[in-house]
Amino acid sequence: MNILSLITFLPLAGALLVLGLPKESKRAVQIVALLSSGLTLVLSVGLYFLFDRHTSSMQFVERLPWIPSIGVQYFLGVDGLSYPLVLLTALMSFVSLVASLNIVNRVKEYFFWFLILEVGMLGVFVSLDLVLFYVFWEITLVPMYFLIGIWGGPKKEYAAIKFFLYTLTGSVFMLLGILAVYFKSDPHTFDLLVLLQAHPDWSARFQILIFLAFYLGFAVKVPAFPFHTWLPLAHVEAPTAVSVVLAAVLLKMGVYGIMRVSYGMLPLGFQWFLPFLVIIAVINIVYGALCAMAQTDMKKMVAYSSINHMGYCLLGIAGLTVTGFSGAMLQMINHGLITGMLFILVGVIYDRAHTRDINAFGGLAAKVPLYAGLMSLACFASLGLPGLAGFVSELLCFLGAFARWKVYTAISVIGILTTAAFFLRMIEKVFLGPLNPKWDKLTDLDAREVCALLPLVILTILLGIYPKPALDLMNATVLHMASLLK
Amino acid sequence: MLQHVYLIPLIPLAASLLILLGAKEDPRSPMPFLGIAATGWCLLQSIAIFYGAATGELSLPYGADWNWFSFGATAGGKPFLYDMPVGVLIDGSAAVMLVVVTLVSFLVQVYSLSYMRGDPRFKRYYAYLSFFTASMLGLVVSSNLLVTFSCWELVGFSSYLLIGFWFERPEPPYAAKKAFITTKLGDLGLYLALMLIFCQVGSFQIPQIREFVARGFMPAAVATAIGLGILCGAAGKSAQFPLFIWLPDAMEGPTPVSALIHAATMVAAGIYLVAKCYFIFAISPVAMETVAWIGAITALLAATMAVVSYDIKRVLAFSTVSQLGFMMCALGSWGFSAGLFHLTTHAAFKALLFLCAGSVIHAVHTNDMRQMGNLDKKMPITFFATLVGTFAIAGIPGFSGFFSKDMILERVFEHDPRLFVILAISACLTAFYMFRLVFMTFLGQERDLDRYLHAHESPWPMTVPLFVLMALAAFSGWLLDRGEIFTRLVNFQALPGIAPAHEAAHAPAYLTWYVTAFVFFAIYLAFRLYGGSNFREAESIKRRCAPVFNLLERRYYLDDIFLALVGLSDRAARLAFWIDSEVVDRFFVDGWGLLMLALARLCHLFDDNLIDRSVDATGGLSVSLGGTLRWIVRRGLVQEYLLWSAAVMSVLTLLTLPAQRYCLGASVGLGLLAILTLLLVRRPR
Repeated sequence: MNILSLITFLPLAGALLVLGLPKESKRAVQIVALLSSGLTLVLSVGLYFLFDRHTSSMQFVERLPWIPSIGVQYFLGVDGLSYPLVLLTALMSFVSLVASLNIVNRVKEYFFWFLILEVGMLGVFVSLDLVLFYVFWEITLVPMYFLIGIWGGPKKEYAAIKFFLYTLTGSVFMLLGILAVYFKSDPHTFDLLVLLQAHPDWSARFQILIFLAFYLGFAVKVPAFPFHTWLPLAHVEAPTAVSVVLAAVLLKMGVYGIMRVSYGMLPLGFQWFLPFLVIIAVINIVYGALCAMAQTDMKKMVAYSSINHMGYCLLGIAGLTVTGFSGAMLQMINHGLITGMLFILVGVIYDRAHTRDINAFGGLAAKVPLYAGLMSLACFASLGLPGLAGFVSELLCFLGAFARWKVYTAISVIGILTTAAFFLRMIEKVFLGPLNPKWDKLTDLDAREVCALLPLVILTILLGIYPKPALDLMNATVLHMASLLK
Repeated sequence: MLQHVYLIPLIPLAASLLILLGAKEDPRSPMPFLGIAATGWCLLQSIAIFYGAATGELSLPYGADWNWFSFGATAGGKPFLYDMPVGVLIDGSAAVMLVVVTLVSFLVQVYSLSYMRGDPRFKRYYAYLSFFTASMLGLVVSSNLLVTFSCWELVGFSSYLLIGFWFERPEPPYAAKKAFITTKLGDLGLYLALMLIFCQVGSFQIPQIREFVARGFMPAAVATAIGLGILCGAAGKSAQFPLFIWLPDAMEGPTPVSALIHAATMVAAGIYLVAKCYFIFAISPVAMETVAWIGAITALLAATMAVVSYDIKRVLAFSTVSQLGFMMCALGSWGFSAGLFHLTTHAAFKALLFLCAGSVIHAVHTNDMRQMGNLDKKMPITFFATLVGTFAIAGIPGFSGFFSKDMILERVFEHDPRLFVILAISACLTAFYMFRLVFMTFLGQERDLDRYLHAHESPWPMTVPLFVLMALAAFSGWLLDRGEIFTRLVNFQALPGIAPAHEAAHAPAYLTWYVTAFVFFAIYLAFRLYGGSNFREAESIKRRCAPVFNLLERRYYLDDIFLALVGLSDRAARLAFWIDSEVVDRFFVDGWGLLMLALARLCHLFDDNLIDRSVDATGGLSVSLGGTLRWIVRRGLVQEYLLWSAAVMSVLTLLTLPAQRYCLGASVGLGLLAILTLLLVRRPR
């Protein structure tokens, strides 16, 4: 049963169907898009019950020759590292599509591009052939370019081109890396699983060089300092749902790449880079949080907080311990859920008030209690309140890093305090205090918004209290990854 | 009953969720009773446990663990799956804390029925209170330090919600934020301490950590680091120097909340945590001494600040800080039982005092003691209750505070006489400011007639808790001290091979009466200055010592330092963002783009002017050559052009080919060509 292909290409089928529909029948377009994405979600969730938690080998593998002359294969499979991300992608795409139901402008194109984007994102996580991986990686760029450039804010064209060029520059280096390992391997291959075994033959110098090439590609996506400045811009200009998938899924591609490709394939390069990686992680955490604190635009603030949170992932990875890896993997999922929630909520207020300026509000908690409650929940989850998802993964990242980098970890806890400071300030300025009479007519969440938010809220609380289901998916793979380390 | 002890935090949690999500907001909602019932059940359970433990029917400590979640960890270079347990651990101090928390929570909830009546968010208030109770109980019973820390944070979160409960006004949200951030600052130290513990021990389970320490595996330097980290957290939550700045502001919350959270239970969590991790402090003299001195400094500073405050709740808040300092100092002087004993008695009399203050505020609608006075006849029960609480806190012999404070002073004297002097001064100040409060509020003449006329005794849900607490404030010290029940139940089982530090001296028996005499003198002083109907004498002292009063009223400028720090971090944030947008983004990223653009322009120029022009020039050359040629021949005869072409071709061929071999052929060709030419040229037009 080709279930992974089905999951990956169902949105493509949906996209083609959307293309065939008349432009005027918006309702039909929305239904087709939701159905295809929903089916993908159902299948991914179904996989949860089939997934074997006790093995670290690839599951649901599909392998077909694609371009036999140079050994390119159509090779799919998931393990404990990629499957949770597939699940996250399917969920966040569906949630974003629900949140996009209020798009009125060029509906058909919007949903077409969105579904193509979903194909690309899912493909990145399931492909085990480097060429296939690269193709999917690049596929995500095009829809993003149009989604930001057409449905975005006032500076959308600039943001779109910056996003496109920046990520493309990174991936060009990655392509060089892919070609280099292809020609270095003997026999030449793009097969990731074979390449993961090949490194003992490779010199340290080669590994370091290729590591840097791959790192450039991944670091732009993460985004790791100093390659992060496209992110706040893209987030601010992108429409709500696009911001959601951008933060929840696209950033994870970078961390996934580092863990899957760089770490496993180029261990010597990885170890050589470790001292730099931990410094970058600390900068991401502290500096990202400080930048977020300086914002008055809520969306930009959340965008910078993403940089801070991806810093935790990097810190966990830089610890080079099993615990840190578990933390980084769990943090990817949790950050996806929490930041997705935050972006949807910021979108909600922007739809109504047409401003995101923190200082423009005041006392909204009395007017829109449900919205205020959920926003506060999301903020507290993001600042790492125990009982909500963010806490456990942050703790594991810190624990993992602390074993190796005591001083750096001690510095990074400043990020926790700063995060608390700016989120609490936002809550205070927007929701508490006397009600600003200007927003007397503000309405609370409607059914569509609640539908989009509810699964995220539930999962955030559930994973906060009981992270076992998520960690159990990952444990076998993490232990295996750690055993690579000698 | 112990096997179901895990229900004690879970039932208030369930109640809280039910109250929050289960019903609509309604002033006559029966939901508050759900919260009261849940806490009441917990109270009964706790009393049963305490009674069982006191009579020796139950053998403590009791522990039970369940698997929570598993994650990869490394031990000795080998990766394995670590199963994180979650569990309960009930020892003597936990049994005492359970009773303290559930009892005060229960009474406060009953009290709030009347105090919070008519509030638009009446139901939500009870949900928050239940949530607080659940997290606090979780903190008490947990056997896992990580779970303790989680509950610790949740307690802070509920405190945030409750301080900012009346969020429509501008001050409570600010105070709530300040409390959360300040305690979070301390929690960072605790967080790092936890990581260090896990790094060292490989577990968060208290019995395992204790075992690890007892076997001498933990170096003293590490224990010092861990101890100081824990102290950071405790200083934040228990409002110790220099992090106590949040507690006076926290008084913006409803008064019953102040009684529960900011007097009796949450602020005692720091003390309890230090007690819970006492075995770590035991092997680090440095950490122990730091605890003692931080406690003593806090006790003195807070007592001096309480002397000058006019806000009845703030006086009590400073007093709480000061008393917490006593407890901390006791713990730091190896007075484990003494510190926790004072925690217990303090919970009773401070909750009583806060609820009395709430009663007064409820009656006169102000916090300012300068607008009160002469309320003793209008509110006899409240007056009497306040008096009992004041006797207890001041340490009048026979009342509960006397026993616990005496125990602390004795212990501290034996540890370090310098600390004893500080605490004794603080004790006298305590008596002074508490009687000042009583005199200003209840005696003398009414100073604000409107408020005075409006004043009335509170209804029964508010007075019944006062009676219960009054009894406890009066007798709990004597009851618990009798036959040394408390010290038997709550004591620190010394680690093998580690004895308490050398005792400086043995406390003489007359010490207690010595201190008590000074306390009575302080009360007399308070009467002299504030007992009358005007405070002329007090005012004149204030005028004469203006700088001192100013320093105290500004809270030793610690608030200003806090604000300066906030401003500094704001500036750092702006600087970071400026670097990000101007340097990283504009200079490097956009600069790179512009550089590329300039390079592209250069290429374009090169392409346009050199390459393309030369192409054009070639074209132009051919065109002009052709033009010239045409000008030369200009007859328009195609055949003639062909002839010329052929001729030129053959000449060229001749030139390029080796001459000799093709000489003949060439001459023949030329001949033919010539004939052809003639034929063509002569042909008529």
